[in-house]
Amino acid sequence: MIDAYFTHLLILIGIYLILTLSLQLAIGYTGLLNLGHVAFYAIGAYTSALLVLSGVPFIVSLILAGIVAMLFGFILSWGTNKLRGDYLALATLGFSFVIYNILSNWISFTGGPLGIAGIPKPSLFGISFSSNFSFFILTSFIAIITLIIIWKITTSPLGRVMKATRDDELATKVLGKNTFKVKTYSLGIAAFFAGIAGSLYAHYITFINPSSFTILQLIPLLAIVIIGGLASIRGTILATIILVLLPEPIRFLGFSSSVVGPARQFIYALILLLILMYKPRGFYGKVELE
Amino acid sequence: MSVILQLIVNGLITGAIYALVASGFSLIYSTNKFIHFAHGAVVAFSAYFLYFLFSMIGMNFGFAVIFTIAFAILLGWGMNVVVYRQLRKRKTSSVILLIASFALLILLESLILILFGATVKTIGFIRAATSIEIFGAFITPLQIFIIISSLVLLSLFLFFMKKVKVGKAMRAVSDNKDVAEIVGISSEKIYSLSFLIGSGIAGIAGILVALEQNLQPMMGTNLMIKGFVAAVIGGIGSVPGAILGGFFLGLSENIGVWFLPLGYKDAIAFVILFIFLLLRPKGILGIKKREEK
Repeated sequence: MIDAYFTHLLILIGIYLILTLSLQLAIGYTGLLNLGHVAFYAIGAYTSALLVLSGVPFIVSLILAGIVAMLFGFILSWGTNKLRGDYLALATLGFSFVIYNILSNWISFTGGPLGIAGIPKPSLFGISFSSNFSFFILTSFIAIITLIIIWKITTSPLGRVMKATRDDELATKVLGKNTFKVKTYSLGIAAFFAGIAGSLYAHYITFINPSSFTILQLIPLLAIVIIGGLASIRGTILATIILVLLPEPIRFLGFSSSVVGPARQFIYALILLLILMYKPRGFYGKVELE
Repeated sequence: MSVILQLIVNGLITGAIYALVASGFSLIYSTNKFIHFAHGAVVAFSAYFLYFLFSMIGMNFGFAVIFTIAFAILLGWGMNVVVYRQLRKRKTSSVILLIASFALLILLESLILILFGATVKTIGFIRAATSIEIFGAFITPLQIFIIISSLVLLSLFLFFMKKVKVGKAMRAVSDNKDVAEIVGISSEKIYSLSFLIGSGIAGIAGILVALEQNLQPMMGTNLMIKGFVAAVIGGIGSVPGAILGGFFLGLSENIGVWFLPLGYKDAIAFVILFIFLLLRPKGILGIKKREEK
C-alpha cells in the first residue's frame, strides 16, 4: 500500500519535471512569460487519448501529442510575436482559456465536461506498462531524456541566443540574430514537452476532463519555476520534488476531500506569493523576471 | 426583432457589471501600472461576504450591503499594503506584480472554496419578480436597478476623476509619476487611494452580481477576465474607455450567443481580446501606452 502510494508520487514528480523543465526553458531561459503551458499539456493529453482510442499505437500517439502541442506553440508564438511582458502573459493566459473552452464545449470530439474515460495504459513493443512500477520506469526514462535535451539546448549556441533575447532583445537583433525565430523555437519546444507530459498523464490516470487543465494547475508550475530559480535546471528539479511532496501531508490530516483540493491550491498560491516577496530569485536563480 | 432587443437588454445588464469591474481595475492599472488580477477575487469575495452576512447570519440587508462595501475596500487596501507595497519597495517589475496578483487571486478563491464549499449559492433577497415587457423584451425590476445604479455610480466616478482635486491628482500620477511627485503629489498615497476606490466599486459590483446570479467560487477569475478584456478594448488605463469596453463586451457576448453555442460565450471575450491586441492594442479610445523601461 505504502509502496503504491510512493510510486504514485514518483510518477507525478516525473510528469511535473517534464512540465516544469520545459516551462523553465520558455520563462527562465528565453524570458517569455508563458502562462499558457497548461493548454499545451491539455492538448497533448487529448491528442494522445483520442489517437490511442482510435487504434494508433502508444508510441506514435505520444510523439504526435508533442508535435500537435508544438504546432499550437508555433501558432501562439506567431500570434504574440510583438507582445512583451504583461501583454504576452495575458495573451498566453487567454490562449489557455480558449483551449479550456473548446475542450468543454466541443462535445462530439472531446466529450465535453465529462471528458474521456477508459484510456488504455500504454504498451511499447509488446511490453505493457500497466503496473505503476513499470509506468514509473517509463516516466522517469522520458523525464531524463527531457532533462538531457533541455540541458543541451540551454548550453548550445541556440540557448545562448535565447538568453541574449531574454536580457536584451533589441541588442540581439542588432547582432543579426532572428529573435522571432528563437522565441518561436523556445515556445515550440516547451509546448512539445508539455504535450508529452500531457500524454503520460492521460495514460497514467486513464481519464481526462477539462477540469484537469484549468489555470489552477498553472500555479504549482509557476511556483516551481520561480522557487527553483529562473534559468536554473537543478533548482527546477529540486523545487519540483519539494513542491509535489509538500502538500501531501494534508491528505493524512483527515479533512474531507472537498477541502484537500482547495487547501493544496491555497498552499501553492501562498508559497508563490511568499517567495516573490521574500526570495524573488528562488534557490538558484540567476536572473529576475523583467 | 424582439429577440435582438432581448439580447441587447441582456447585453446591457452584463455590460453594466463588466463596466463596474473594468473601471475599478482600470483605475488601479492606470496609477499602479500593473495588472491587478486579484481585483476579480475582491468582487467574488464581496459577493460571498454578502451571502455570509445576509443569508447565513441574517443581518439586515442595508447593513449587510454597507459592511460588504467596507469589507471590499479593506480587502483591496490590505492587498496593496501587505503584498504590493512590499514588492514595490524592492522596485520589482510589473511582471512580478502580475504573478503576485495572480497568486492572490487563486489564494482568495481557494479560501472561498475552503470556507463556503463548491456548491452554488443564491442570496435570494429578491424573489423572482415578474418581469416588465418593453417592446417585446423582458426585464426584471432588479435588472433595471442594476443598470441604473451602475450608470449612476460610473458617472459619479467619472465626475470625480475629472473635476475633484484628488481625482485630478490620480490622473496626474497615471500620466507621469515623477512629475506628479515634483508638484507634491505623494504617489504612494495615490496608489492606496486607487485601491480603496477601485475595490469599493468592485464590492458594489460583487453585490449586484450576487443579487442577479448564483455564486460560484471561481466567478472571480471569470469576472476578472471579462473586466480585463473590457479594459483592453476600451484602451487600458483609461477609465471612460473601460466603461465603454464593458458595455461593448457585454453586448457582443450576448449577441454572439445568437451565432454560437452558449458554452462558447466565454471564448468570445478572448477572441475579441486577441483581435484588439493584434490590430489595435491601444483600444477604442486610443490612448498611447508609453514605452517604459
